[in-house]
Amino acid sequence: MAQRDKHIYKELRDKWIKKHKDLQEAFWAKHGDIIHDFINNTRNFAVGSVSGLMILSSPAVGLLSPTSSLAVKEEKLPMERKVFLIGDLSNVLPQEVRELTEDEEKKVAEILIRDFGLKVSATLDGKRLNRSYGYIGAEQHLARYRGDTMATHFIPPAGGSDNFVKHYSSGMAPGLGAWGYFANSQNEMTEQDLLREKYYIAVQTFLAPGFYENVREYITFFKFRKMLVVNPHNGRAVVAIIGDAGPAEWTGKHLGGSPEVMKYLERVDGAQKGPVLYFFIDDPQDQVPLGPIDIK
Amino acid sequence: MLKHFYSYHVEIDSLVLEIESLEIEDHEKKNLISLAESHVHHAVIDSILSSLKKEEKQEFLKLLNSKNQEKIWKFLRDKIKDVEEKIEKTASEVKNQLLKDITETKA
Repeated sequence: MAQRDKHIYKELRDKWIKKHKDLQEAFWAKHGDIIHDFINNTRNFAVGSVSGLMILSSPAVGLLSPTSSLAVKEEKLPMERKVFLIGDLSNVLPQEVRELTEDEEKKVAEILIRDFGLKVSATLDGKRLNRSYGYIGAEQHLARYRGDTMATHFIPPAGGSDNFVKHYSSGMAPGLGAWGYFANSQNEMTEQDLLREKYYIAVQTFLAPGFYENVREYITFFKFRKMLVVNPHNGRAVVAIIGDAGPAEWTGKHLGGSPEVMKYLERVDGAQKGPVLYFFIDDPQDQVPLGPIDIK
Repeated sequence: MLKHFYSYHVEIDSLVLEIESLEIEDHEKKNLISLAESHVHHAVIDSILSSLKKEEKQEFLKLLNSKNQEKIWKFLRDKIKDVEEKIEKTASEVKNQLLKDITETKA
């Protein structure tokens, strides 16, 4: 019975998508500058930034179900796509920074999959972290091999002079990361080792549900696990690995980012700290490169 | 149903009911309603922004972001003459056009 007006649905859908596209294009042509200015100026707003700007959401946000036959495929300018990402996430995320519900995580994952083209989820292989949305704090550089110091950390080509200027002040963590050194020695260090230290996050593995029931299995799972980390307020995203465990619960922070991760996401520690989304990337063939990632 | 600061002044129930009456899948109805709401929303915000000066637009977006409906309305009534009627008229035009689309498609 529900199929009787199927053709009507398709015709209406196509007609309204076309109209909507025209409407959006006209809207952005008229008001795009002012909205971009506003987004840029609100980048460091408190949690829930731009959440009231429903105008920024694309019609696709509610149409993301894999079972939906409606696919809104519109070519948009990069900035506009980022604005849609920000707007769509703000429609799903709560005003306060709290653990997301299963439904919210699912909706966020759908948006991230749509915009980044990666298979992401809050739960992977039946394992999850204590949360997928939380405040990120600043971590220091990690020693990549025995003898690695701040003096050696940015020697080209490993770091480069530009990185030296940007990230030297973060300093080196006094201890090792949760998994020890990234390489056995400087000579044995690979590009992958370098990138893993550069783009790492520390997450509260010890708070993951089930962690203490099967520590070895969970540690094996978390070690260098790739995650997509997204600043929902500016749309910037990084593919990072879990390189350390932390921070402690009492800090009020839920994860930490390497100096490079924090810099790219434009997140800072302290009173100005802000939230990020962090979702597992299902990448069994290790094909997703580490580092900043743009909307596809 | 999405709730906006103008929801009280904009009636799209008749449009929603018309979509609901179609013999299509529930998710398809949801898709069409979502598109319709987005149409109305874009038109309403376009109408408001087009009536404001540059600095007022920034202030409006800021208020919109705050979700403080009282402040939004105070601001709009202060800056735009007969703003309620303006919003109602804009939304009504979009709604009627979408209703017409449904009628034509069904014919």
